Amino acid sequence: MTVYLQILMTAILTGNFVLCKFLGICPFLGVSKKLNTAVGMSAAVVFVMALATAVTYPINTMLVKNNLEYLQTIVFILVIAALVQLVEIILKKFMPPLYNALGIYLPLITTNCAVLGVVLLNITENYNFAQSMFNSVGAGLGFMLAMVIFSGVRSRLESCDVPKFLQGLPIVLIAASIVSVSFMGFTGIVEGILGL
Amino acid sequence: MKKFKEYAAPTVVLFVICVVAAFLLALTNKVTAPAIAEVNAANEAKARTVVFAAADRFGDAVETSVEKVDSVVPALDKAGNVIGYVVTSHDDKGYGGKISVMTGVDAQGKVTGVSILDMSETAGLGANAKRDTFREQFIGKIKGITVSKDEAGENSIDALTGATVTSRAVTRAVNAAIEAAGGANNG
Amino acid sequence: MADKKKSLGREFAKGIIVENPVLRLVLGTCPTLAVSTSVVNAIGMGLSAMIVLVCSNIVISCLRKIIPSKVRIPAYIVIIASFVTIVQMIVKAFVPALDSALGVYLPLIVVNCIILGRAEAFAGKNSVIASAVDGLGMGIGFTVALCCMATVREILGAGTFLADAQNLLVLFGENTLGGFNGFTVIKDSSMLKPITILIMAPGGFFTFGILMACANKLAESKGKPKAELKGCEACPMAKNCALIAKGESCSEKEDKEAAKV
Repeated sequence: MTVYLQILMTAILTGNFVLCKFLGICPFLGVSKKLNTAVGMSAAVVFVMALATAVTYPINTMLVKNNLEYLQTIVFILVIAALVQLVEIILKKFMPPLYNALGIYLPLITTNCAVLGVVLLNITENYNFAQSMFNSVGAGLGFMLAMVIFSGVRSRLESCDVPKFLQGLPIVLIAASIVSVSFMGFTGIVEGILGL
Repeated sequence: MKKFKEYAAPTVVLFVICVVAAFLLALTNKVTAPAIAEVNAANEAKARTVVFAAADRFGDAVETSVEKVDSVVPALDKAGNVIGYVVTSHDDKGYGGKISVMTGVDAQGKVTGVSILDMSETAGLGANAKRDTFREQFIGKIKGITVSKDEAGENSIDALTGATVTSRAVTRAVNAAIEAAGGANNG
Repeated sequence: MADKKKSLGREFAKGIIVENPVLRLVLGTCPTLAVSTSVVNAIGMGLSAMIVLVCSNIVISCLRKIIPSKVRIPAYIVIIASFVTIVQMIVKAFVPALDSALGVYLPLIVVNCIILGRAEAFAGKNSVIASAVDGLGMGIGFTVALCCMATVREILGAGTFLADAQNLLVLFGENTLGGFNGFTVIKDSSMLKPITILIMAPGGFFTFGILMACANKLAESKGKPKAELKGCEACPMAKNCALIAKGESCSEKEDKEAAKV
């Protein structure tokens, strides 16, 4: 059990996808202006990451069995794209409230590098199915945490008197850098908590 | 006919593109796969002579049950006597995930050399573990190596600046290797 | 004829400065931040992305009349993903050290918005030669921006310049340029120590922010608007969103959502 907990915590804190691994920067900078959109977007990311991992894991096993590892990238990106479309259609038809909450963010996620990234990282780390799922959900939750924190920072930024030189995107990036520094403080915390 | 154009044409085009793409990939794979295997084999052979320079040649891999150890290969002298082992081991808790390390261990259980086979640590920080100054610290050390930041002493190595996590991970992998070599020595 | 040449030249040059994909269009931020820890990694990443960009631009432009617009995005993705995989295999075979240095970011070129963005915005509408030139210009622009970032981060953060150059030079055989393996700019033992945090994650954001501010300043002096990331408008997928949502653009959707709340 400790292994799973460790994977989960690492993915959320010390190995945060956005702030430590630089995956999913576009939505992080683009959709973090308001808290509600930030939460909606990251909920959709958690959902798609978990789903994509659940689907690509057996596919990868099949590819490896047939010595077709070189098709991984192309197959995964297509599977993720198709999956996102399918989920969108299903949600729209059967669960309109959920669609209204998450649906609008789904197409944005198809080419989000965090989703393909988590799937590929699960393979390079040699995780089994359960470990992969924990890693994906952790990565998604880490994304959510970063988004929520950063949307708070940005709402403060709006009311600040920023030097002219840094107005616009530069100050947002510098703010992100400071948030990232705070995440560096988590180094070693996972091992510390779990007593490894 | 109109329906055909609307539905079938896109499907056919997409299908053809996929088939052509898969074919091209298979072709490239056929060309590059031997080259990749060759590169890996050459790297491993080179790493072996680096970590165990005294060996004349290397024998066939022996079984091991030590955790984190991938392979144990005996190092032989000219006469074919076993004078130590070259052990490939890994640790999953590097800053960028898994780190694979090759360690040479002589018959007395002393490290003869360490080489980093594979890792994805930060360039300029953890990636400095590949530098000679860090790796050479391990030479001559015995079982239970520590990182001096945790526990300084005779048998400790200095961590890389700003990359303690990487240093600890490499040290754990080397310790696992020494244990595996010790087991092989006795058995 | 002369006119054509001139416009091709302009296509090429615009990608490098005026429409620099990283600093002006704010595309491909993920790899920019991630691999700019050393100049050698940056060059490797830039060149790989450029090869993919040029090849996929050429193929997509060749097929632009055959691919039905309904399935063009999946078709583009397949084409791009194939080239990325080919590049990845070649890098693995001939420049193995670069493959392990770039890690997961090499296959992730697939989702680099610069490439899909150029396919959608340019190659799908223009002639083969123009697309190839556009790809080359954008690729060089990406590489240049990456190298700018990496130079600052490597010199100040690690105290080296072009460290591990052999990782790349191995392409031309062992020990090219007399085994040149980079300079040490700041010796670790001297009074001056490198600012390690610059090559860690926060330093990436910080350097990018400062570089972006400089680029903005430069643009301003030329009377051009500042670079801005306008939510999903800047993302090439926004157009696909519109396609998927049948005519509704991404920003419209967000506005609607905001209006509901």
